[in-house]
Amino acid sequence: MTALLELTNISRSFGAIKALKSVDFEINSGEVMGLVGENGAGKSSLVKIISGFDDGYTGSLRLNGVVQRFSSPLKAERSGIAIAQQELSLIPAMTVAENVFISGEKAPIFATKSSLARKAAPFLSEVGLEDVDPFLPVERLSIGEQQLVEVARLLAQEPQVLILDEPTAALGESDSIRILGMVRRLAERGKSIIYVSHRMDEIFKICNRITVLRDGQSQEAKDAKRLDVSSLVELMLGRELAHMFPAHPKIPRGEALLEVHNVWPDGTLEPFNFSVFAGEILGLAGQLGSGSGDILAAIAGAKRSREGRIKYKGESFLPKSPKHAISRGIAYCSDDRKLDGLFLGRPIVENLSAPALSAISKRGLIKHDKERSLALSNASKFTIDTSRLDNEAGVLSGGNQQKVALGKWLAIEPNVILVNEPTRGVDVGARAEIYGKLRELANEGAAVIFASTDIQEITGLADRVISFYRGMQVGELQLTEINPASVLEQITHPFGVDDKQPEPHH
Amino acid sequence: MSNISSYFSSKIDSLADNYSALVLGLVVLFFAVFIFGMVTAPNFLTYFNLKTIVRDAALVGIMAIGLTFVTLSGNFFLLSLKETAALAIIAFATSMSAGYGFEISFLFTIVIAMLTGSAQGVLIGLGGNPIVVTLGAAGLLYGLGAYWSDNLVVSFRRPHGAEWLGTGSFLGLPNITIAFILIAIAAELTLRFTNFGRQVYLIGANRAAGRATGHENFGMAIKTCTIASVCAAFVAIAFSAQVSSAQVNYFSSEFGSSGDMTIMVIATVMVGGNSIMGGYGSTIRSSLGAVFISSVDNMMVLHGFNSGPRVLAVGLMIVFSIMVFALVRRGSRSQE
Repeated sequence: MTALLELTNISRSFGAIKALKSVDFEINSGEVMGLVGENGAGKSSLVKIISGFDDGYTGSLRLNGVVQRFSSPLKAERSGIAIAQQELSLIPAMTVAENVFISGEKAPIFATKSSLARKAAPFLSEVGLEDVDPFLPVERLSIGEQQLVEVARLLAQEPQVLILDEPTAALGESDSIRILGMVRRLAERGKSIIYVSHRMDEIFKICNRITVLRDGQSQEAKDAKRLDVSSLVELMLGRELAHMFPAHPKIPRGEALLEVHNVWPDGTLEPFNFSVFAGEILGLAGQLGSGSGDILAAIAGAKRSREGRIKYKGESFLPKSPKHAISRGIAYCSDDRKLDGLFLGRPIVENLSAPALSAISKRGLIKHDKERSLALSNASKFTIDTSRLDNEAGVLSGGNQQKVALGKWLAIEPNVILVNEPTRGVDVGARAEIYGKLRELANEGAAVIFASTDIQEITGLADRVISFYRGMQVGELQLTEINPASVLEQITHPFGVDDKQPEPHH
Repeated sequence: MSNISSYFSSKIDSLADNYSALVLGLVVLFFAVFIFGMVTAPNFLTYFNLKTIVRDAALVGIMAIGLTFVTLSGNFFLLSLKETAALAIIAFATSMSAGYGFEISFLFTIVIAMLTGSAQGVLIGLGGNPIVVTLGAAGLLYGLGAYWSDNLVVSFRRPHGAEWLGTGSFLGLPNITIAFILIAIAAELTLRFTNFGRQVYLIGANRAAGRATGHENFGMAIKTCTIASVCAAFVAIAFSAQVSSAQVNYFSSEFGSSGDMTIMVIATVMVGGNSIMGGYGSTIRSSLGAVFISSVDNMMVLHGFNSGPRVLAVGLMIVFSIMVFALVRRGSRSQE
């Protein structure tokens, strides 16, 4: 049987950097092929070549046995290869149906909204959006649903091969489940799907075979049934990842370091109350929109709160701004490092010193040698390549960017570290390093509170879990009670199988 | 087609690899203009003409340095510079003609500029759109100046205490040029070596990240708008000192090739290659931009071009520099 799409001996260099070194890749029709690798392993380079964004490669690409070279994404699309990228290409103010036919040759030239809705219906039902009103503006949908609309848009081009590049990176658990269901359905209908993801559990749930890239080199595609998480990670890293998550030490729970009293962030249903102890890593579990991230932002002064105070170091207050929180030794990393975690256009050294300018200056003058030594020491603590300190943060890969976004807070020697989605879009190797570093900070006496939609992360890293559901605080799990089933139950239907919601008490 | 584009992108990559090559290229371009002017216009390289170039460059350059702080901090542009200068020149000349002397008049004018600048900064810092805020302020300030002076020329008699700034020189350099050089050096040192300068870059590069790391744009907008307005007022004082008079429309009709001071200053900031979105650039770039524009403009004057082609030339320079710098920035970022 010849493969539907076959790439042989593909090499691609950018200047002196060899992104791909004679890579082989194939996919059969009706197959879901996982494409995995650390950041910088060459996944994006390969995907760009297949989808026509990059034709500066050597080697051959065969589609249905015919050699092709796509010089633009449009040409790839015409040949039946469509890609859903992480950045969606939808127009928020237009309706669902309009977005399905936003581009491409299948788009009707003249159409009314209702004729478009009729034409879009089969594609929407194919991705499981049959219940969504096609006249609704796309911006009113959840991110997961928007993602599905994007795929419906691609399906309208009737592709043979569909590339999904980290489709669930920004999604919560239930939206992710919808995406996975859709992938399975499409494969049953004969579509070939290249599934790029960092999420191991998903890869194993839906992929038939898995191609691993490492340092720009490919290995023969492996049957997913013959692999497990640890052997796959080993293939990706080229070494065994001994322990993804650091061990849980015994935490002396005396007096709480920080107590949250009735803090009620905008957009949530009720005030929140919990406390965290020095040396502890507290996990806030919840799906997207559950409020677990909002409470972190509120404690950090980055989000308005209707009421409430925090009790911390003998003070009772609520930070008015991040500046206020920083001055008390409270560090906060949001879930979107590009939005407010990094200065992409500035050198890494300036990123690392940004929260602590007063620590590297004297009478308003910056001591550049002091700044450099601070940056050097904090970079090496977070295993950031110290030879690249003068490069712009924007040239780093996702994992390294996240390390800089987190690492910059070492400069203020924080007592409380708040992190929303500590490892979103971060590869396995960097993830383990970030987990290790957070544990180290806790062991040194800091309190770490992180919010995550990733069950694996919650169960592996947290010493104690508080769960959130649709803007409410719904439960707490001690270390011995934490397991995927108990966490999942609390964050999906905390009030029993009927999903009955009590009246929110104000 | 794709070969051509990949050829160019690889060219740009290699250019970006060697950033100093680009700077060198600009210096070469500058000298090319210079030599071209020397060869084609015999009076280009006369002492008198060079003095004119550096004088013109100084006035626009000082204002551009002030505006650069605003632009670098991500607060875009002040469209009220010309009008700030207009109000300032009326204030200065009125005070001078009333016999208050240079020092008092100078301080009076600068204080007015600080007030108008910081007021605009407050509005921008609170989230007002810089364009809207400063466009509104522009009308207000100009109207105030016109009302105050009745649209008449306010003159004061020579000799007066401001002549050293207006027409004086030191070692053959006009004092205003020396002021330009000193301000340029001070501004660059401020940007590179102070906390404030670092905050300008950080907030400009990413305002949300700036806020998240404890650097609020509120204070930054006030500070940078004040700096820009004070620079504009300083230029107004120097200009008034030179001509011993003031009229509210001096900076609308008599300035540079386009006749409009605000446009010239914004052009200078952009030709220098500062990022319009903030976070990247320097005051040195703006200073060089001022000298470059002034040289080209002067050469065109010597060749008898009237204002139409000269404005066109400024426009072309803006477009060209934005393109070149944007491409180089993109090239240097697509490394990984």
